[in-house]
Amino acid sequence: MLFQAVASGITAGSIYALVALAFVLVYKGTRVVNFGQGEQVMLGAYLALVLNTFVGLPFGAAVALALLLAGAFGLLIQVVVLRHIAQSPPLTKIIAMLAIGLILREGARALLGSNAYPFPFLLSPAPVRMGGVLLTPANLAIVVAALAVMAVFYVFFRYARLGKALRAACENPEAAALMGISVPFVFGSIWVLASALAAIAGVLLAPLVTLTPDMGLMAIKGWVAAVVGGFTSLPGAVVGGIVLGVIETVTGSYVSTALKDGVTYLLLILILIVRPSGLLERRTVKKV
Amino acid sequence: MGRAVVWLLGAAAFVVAGVTLSDYTLYLIDLVAVTAIMALGLTIVTGVAGQVSLAQAAFSAMGGYGAVLLGSGLGIPHWLGIPLAALGAAVVGYLLGLPALRLEGPYLALVTLGFTAIVQTVLIHWRTVTNGQLGLPVPPLTLGGRALTSGRELFVVVVPLAVLLFLAARRLLRSRVGRAFDALRQSEVAARVMGVNPVHYKTLAFALSAFLGGLGGGLHALLTTFLSPDSFGIIESIYFLVVIVVGGVGSVLGPVLGSALLILLPETLGAFKQYQTLVYGVLLLTFIVFAPGGLSGLVARLTWRS
Repeated sequence: MLFQAVASGITAGSIYALVALAFVLVYKGTRVVNFGQGEQVMLGAYLALVLNTFVGLPFGAAVALALLLAGAFGLLIQVVVLRHIAQSPPLTKIIAMLAIGLILREGARALLGSNAYPFPFLLSPAPVRMGGVLLTPANLAIVVAALAVMAVFYVFFRYARLGKALRAACENPEAAALMGISVPFVFGSIWVLASALAAIAGVLLAPLVTLTPDMGLMAIKGWVAAVVGGFTSLPGAVVGGIVLGVIETVTGSYVSTALKDGVTYLLLILILIVRPSGLLERRTVKKV
Repeated sequence: MGRAVVWLLGAAAFVVAGVTLSDYTLYLIDLVAVTAIMALGLTIVTGVAGQVSLAQAAFSAMGGYGAVLLGSGLGIPHWLGIPLAALGAAVVGYLLGLPALRLEGPYLALVTLGFTAIVQTVLIHWRTVTNGQLGLPVPPLTLGGRALTSGRELFVVVVPLAVLLFLAARRLLRSRVGRAFDALRQSEVAARVMGVNPVHYKTLAFALSAFLGGLGGGLHALLTTFLSPDSFGIIESIYFLVVIVVGGVGSVLGPVLGSALLILLPETLGAFKQYQTLVYGVLLLTFIVFAPGGLSGLVARLTWRS
């Protein structure tokens, strides 16, 4: 029973981890807290669905195009909205991101209605018994895909020239600019990457839940994961996501399913109050 | 002299409106007044004191559910139950202000967002008390043995109360307390250096916002006559943010202008009513990017030029 809960917790957790990764990337890189993150997750899933079911593209092509479009949308957010309010107080940016989320969610509702859409399954949803634990190939695929994406990101940030430039700009924008790294270019790239990540999370999440315009509310889980991991740490986001997924399913199967979501929010508030720098990060001192 | 004339004109307008306007129009005005009260709370905590709060829908739920439950459980009439529920919300708001002492900006937004989610989860799952997803009917407000149900009857109660609350808020924000809130928003460190105690003023701002949210929530329940957990979620908290941003962040007039636009606009949309929330989103983005002062800022700019 415990192993079962942990196994399904890891499936959900790896998606939370992707959302948290996108969230942390944007926060670390551009100091913007993306309160529209969840709706970008939803956007990715809807784009894939529309391109696959309504346009008739094969699934792989539909997903690839969906990621491209989602990335382009991210660039649009940076260029059209955020550049204009770069010097504004953080409250302005929070509200702008909430507004973008609202527009995406209600736009999806206006175009496709509130009804839930079934999402095409790639692999059989029938479970396979493996060492006493029931595993679903579709769920395994989600974990594998999420891990693969994280690995690609790790390699990119560690070894690629662009990845290093992005990291440098995240650490110290002024110094990076002096070294010839174009900050607008870096900000644009970060938004493209994070938006594509959110879209991947959406495509992976869609088979687990029903596809509705309100699907984006799950992003709260991604934020909690980011908070658990310390908010500015990329590995922390991944660990936080998986920890959260496991805590959630274990509470769900041992305590009560009704409490499952409540526990997530309680965890969020407790960690923010007790250890705002997360479980992994060292504390930071605010300078004036 | 000037002030007396304003009061007289206001009273005359109130009487004329109450007598001549249709019941539905008065109902809409009631809704604007009540929404403005709840949004005024958010103006104080977020607009003036600079503490991002996404908890306003949760406070309004406490006011609404609190008043109904005090009535059904203890037999307390609404005229007493609504203020009591609002005081209860204020206590919770005070406690929610405590994390604000250590957190800022996005972190605080996340805490208040989590708080709203918890309150909504409780409303959904504590079925024996809240009746869960099925919701609760709201008995009418009775004053002097008379049940006030129509838009016209409630107009007589709600609008003068809203006017009094707004005058009180304006007075408060122009006092030492208001200046302390202003200072906290602009720079907490500078405020502290000038002798503003952040513990005191942050919790006060949250308690005030919760009180107004609860009071408005209780009155709002009288207008909608029904409570459902669906109307007290994160999206509703964002709605209050739309109200104050469109109206003008930090301006006392902002909640009134914002509520009026957001409640009366759908009435004119007609066939586009189904896109109402989408329009709200577009309004929010447009205002925050291009007119951060909101409607009251635009008004101020126009009068400044002329």
